Amino acid sequence: MSVLLKLSGLSITARLADGELTLLDDVDLEIRRGQIVGVVGESGSGKTTLARAVVGLLDRNVRVDRGTVTVGDEQVVAPGVDRTARVRGSAVGMVFQDASRSLNPLLKVRTQLAEVLRRHVRDITRAEVERRSVEVLAQMRIDDPGRVLASYPHQLSGGLRQRVAIGLAVVTRPALVIADECTTALDVTTQTKVVDLFRTLVDELGIGLLFVTHDLMLASDLCDRIAVMSGGRVVEQGDALTVLDRPQQEYTRRLLAAIPSWS
Amino acid sequence: MKASTVRRVGGRLASLFASLLIALSLAFLLGRLSGDPTATILGPMAPPEQREALRHQLGLDLPVVVQYLDYLKGVFTGDLGQSLQFYQSNTSMIADRLPYTLQLVGAGMALALLVGVPLGVLAATREGTWWDRGASTLALLGQSVPVFWFGMMLVVLFAVKLGWLPAGQSGSPRHLILPALTMSVYPMAHIARLTRASMSDALAEPYIDSARARGISTRRVVWRHAFTNAMMPILTIVVLQTGILLSGAVAVEYVYSWPGLGQLALQAIQFRDFPLVQAIVVFGALVFVLLNLLVDVLHSIVDPRVR
Repeated sequence: MSVLLKLSGLSITARLADGELTLLDDVDLEIRRGQIVGVVGESGSGKTTLARAVVGLLDRNVRVDRGTVTVGDEQVVAPGVDRTARVRGSAVGMVFQDASRSLNPLLKVRTQLAEVLRRHVRDITRAEVERRSVEVLAQMRIDDPGRVLASYPHQLSGGLRQRVAIGLAVVTRPALVIADECTTALDVTTQTKVVDLFRTLVDELGIGLLFVTHDLMLASDLCDRIAVMSGGRVVEQGDALTVLDRPQQEYTRRLLAAIPSWS
Repeated sequence: MKASTVRRVGGRLASLFASLLIALSLAFLLGRLSGDPTATILGPMAPPEQREALRHQLGLDLPVVVQYLDYLKGVFTGDLGQSLQFYQSNTSMIADRLPYTLQLVGAGMALALLVGVPLGVLAATREGTWWDRGASTLALLGQSVPVFWFGMMLVVLFAVKLGWLPAGQSGSPRHLILPALTMSVYPMAHIARLTRASMSDALAEPYIDSARARGISTRRVVWRHAFTNAMMPILTIVVLQTGILLSGAVAVEYVYSWPGLGQLALQAIQFRDFPLVQAIVVFGALVFVLLNLLVDVLHSIVDPRVR
């Protein structure tokens, strides 16, 4: 299986008014085609920084110190190097934390999909834009793509907006999708549907998915592999079942113990 | 149209009409509070009988309520009364002066927009840098400088010292440059500061990061996604500021002897020509109400959520 994303020894620091803060410390991670890799950890563990580093959305005061990010064959991030613009939105799609607020409130869904398609597909015709927009919404299990395309975001339910946001990330057929806490703002039922949707997308399209979450149980449901992060380091990484059943690290054990149970 | 939309539009129109009525009543009351105009017209030495005759001629001996109703009737039929000093209809005098004020305000606001908006966007997209600090300081300065002083300084420099431009009055496009520049300073600074704040809010919205993550170019993200979302407060200020200036750019018109509405208002006040003062205030109130309506219409065009 081909490697879609490879992080090697990635270290990132933020310059603050009172010194430097290590956000990522020597992180190694790999995602292959058809694989779902979960990155779990508590707030401030560096998982969002990891996700944003891949698409070059780091804050101005943040710097890559060591290590590289490779997407496909292309090295996009290295110290002093940022070629993420070449993969952003084309090879890598991204879904954000609050997916329903990641749509521009002033533009119809149709306009927003067309904008992404026109940007990434050279010389695409109007008919082709429409066809692919309808197609991607159908892929998102949206029953009436016509109505949704003609709607403004505020006219859609939270669950629908979420699907549209995912559709916007995959409409350009990226090989890799990064989902950053994208189920956090949803109720449990919608959350389950979205997770199922991701699973189907990975199976149908053969993409790789980097699923960032603080929810260990959710990650264990969805992911093939899990990387546990703490303080900017990956403290444990492996097969999802192995990590959950036989955690090797004290930190992972504590995280697991923190999950409330029925017994 | 949906019933809720009709109800909202109806409510809005009713509240605009109410504000107009309040403004009209205040204009009437303030006119009556400013003293007896017959003293100014006839001079302090005029005999009481003559003043009484004039009061009768002007209808000032009628009960205030009757005067008020006459006045309202006049306003809604387009008759704003007669000037006490020019012996002309107020409506026609306002119509004569309006083109000059429109020229001045149009040029001033265009300049304010053309400089203020890019300056604000520049500051917001480079938040925390020296560009930002420079632009913000400039804007603060622009909002603090007194208009009349700035106008006089421009006259001293460009008309007196350098002799490049005329110092006052109207006639050619060259006459317009200094007054328009003077007039633009305050709104320009206001627009720049507002654009900076509004853009910086918009740029922090999640949909901006999302658009960037979708590979949309920076320029498009800034203008198409952030600016359109940041535009509404700017549009509002531009339109309302235009209203303020239209109904009396007094300081600028005074400094440059510009024959617009501001000058007329000043002459009317100095002469206690209260029908004319009243007429100008009424005109300003009408302009303001109409511009408020325009803001609402623009808002509903820009933002689908308020349709």
